[in-house]
Amino acid sequence: MRTYKKTWCRGLFKSMGIAYKNFFRKKITVQYPHERLELPERARWAVEMVLDEDGAHKCTTCLMCQKACPDFIIDITTSKAEDGTKMIDTWRYDIGACMMCGFCVESCNFGAIRMSHNYELARTDPSTLTVNLLENVPVAKPKPKAKPAAAKPAADGAAAKPVAKPADGDKTAVQPAEKVAPAGTQPAEAPAQTPVAEKPAEKVKAQDEVSVPDNESEKGGDV
Amino acid sequence: MNDVVVALIGFVAALVLLLLNGVVLIYMLRKVLAFLHLRLGPMDNGPKGTLQTAFDVVKLLTKEDVTPANADKSMFFIAPIIVFVPSLMAYIILPFSDTLAIGHFDLGLLFVFAVLSIVPLGNLAAGWASNNKWSLIGAMRVVGAQITYEVPMLLAALPVVIMAGSMNMNDIVLAQSKIWFIVNIPAFVLFFVAGLIESGQTPFDLIEAESELVGGYATEYSAMRFGLLFLSEFSNLFIFSAMLVTLFFGGWHGGFGIIPAPVVFIIKTYIGIFVLMTIRGTLPRVRVDHLMSLGWKFLLPASIAWVLVTALVVKLAPAVFGGGA
Repeated sequence: MRTYKKTWCRGLFKSMGIAYKNFFRKKITVQYPHERLELPERARWAVEMVLDEDGAHKCTTCLMCQKACPDFIIDITTSKAEDGTKMIDTWRYDIGACMMCGFCVESCNFGAIRMSHNYELARTDPSTLTVNLLENVPVAKPKPKAKPAAAKPAADGAAAKPVAKPADGDKTAVQPAEKVAPAGTQPAEAPAQTPVAEKPAEKVKAQDEVSVPDNESEKGGDV
Repeated sequence: MNDVVVALIGFVAALVLLLLNGVVLIYMLRKVLAFLHLRLGPMDNGPKGTLQTAFDVVKLLTKEDVTPANADKSMFFIAPIIVFVPSLMAYIILPFSDTLAIGHFDLGLLFVFAVLSIVPLGNLAAGWASNNKWSLIGAMRVVGAQITYEVPMLLAALPVVIMAGSMNMNDIVLAQSKIWFIVNIPAFVLFFVAGLIESGQTPFDLIEAESELVGGYATEYSAMRFGLLFLSEFSNLFIFSAMLVTLFFGGWHGGFGIIPAPVVFIIKTYIGIFVLMTIRGTLPRVRVDHLMSLGWKFLLPASIAWVLVTALVVKLAPAVFGGGA
């Protein structure tokens, strides 16, 4: 009993001491709307299109992202224009239901989308929850020129993601892609796949060695 | 006629002091708690967020005053006033300096206890009139705690009265011109613990216990009636700290002739409030049955015993030390 009483009192004063120490410590909160923290490089927030320097997107409407999405929120509709070019009517997804898992980005064989750092996604109007990423634009032709374009982000380091991800995606998504991918994308598959897979080469491979098995297992369960 | 004017001035002064204290203390509480949690607290309105409370007051004043449908209307209306008025009355005897107090009278200390013992009545009225189980439980806890702890609090103040030989707050302060009564440490500890419970500070804030009881007896109150309940809580905090300063820390003594006495008194009181707030931000809540058993089984016997010991020492000291003291 006596020892219990003794410890009880000591704890009281100890906790008060810690509290007073905290009182004079540097404050750790950030005055949010006025200042912001730098996000980690691989933070996953709203999905956005990867645009090359001409502002052209890379989406071939292979619909891999649509199939990978666990929430079924990616909605891609296509149509054929009079002159025969395939058009993307809408490339939209419901940001209210998106859980930022990044599966769509991993499944993309062309590095067309990426997870951005835009985390201020609160809306005042629910109708704006559906985000249109592409509207009424022609489908991108997956051309071998994609090679240098893809190599570039790898060079500036910050965007190792878009390159590394297709490399993973290729390995894991080949089989379903052959089965289901729309006819338009089929011929492109081989050329696009091989250069990208080769070029990022050992550097990217080594970097992502840990995460690759992860991705595979996840995808295996999903597809 | 003259007396009426003086009384009116005193009343207005007390009211202004209470309101100002409320505004300052709310801001202070938010800042102190935030700093203990490594946060910054309100920062946006005014320099370092100093205007935050002013905006809060405006918000409280303009909010809708909701009365629950099944509430006991008249009691619901009068309860905040019953809570508020005693804490305003207690300001009367606070000795800010030798001469500066709204009223000096010989039973000043007893007056504070008498007046503050009305507060739980108002709390009970508020909880009962709200017709809400959380309010009623909160109110019952208030009444239980206050009745339990008024006795040890008064008994813990008695050693000071014995040492000063008076219940007049001013005489108590004057008696501390040589040595502060904090030397009577057990009395201080007993008074401090009992007072913490009386003022509903966190280790014993079962009366509100927002994680258990929503808001205690104030759950159903809104707008400025809630403001009154809230304000009286903060003013009780101020009164408790002022009593601590008066009884144990030499009141307005200690300015070394440089700082004016009322300022010394206020500074000491605010230091006391700061300590109380840090305790509030640190210690976990005591369970309700522990609170009761602490009061009846420990504080009450201990305070009675300490009154006897102090009385004995005060009586024997002149004999032992040759008629001095």
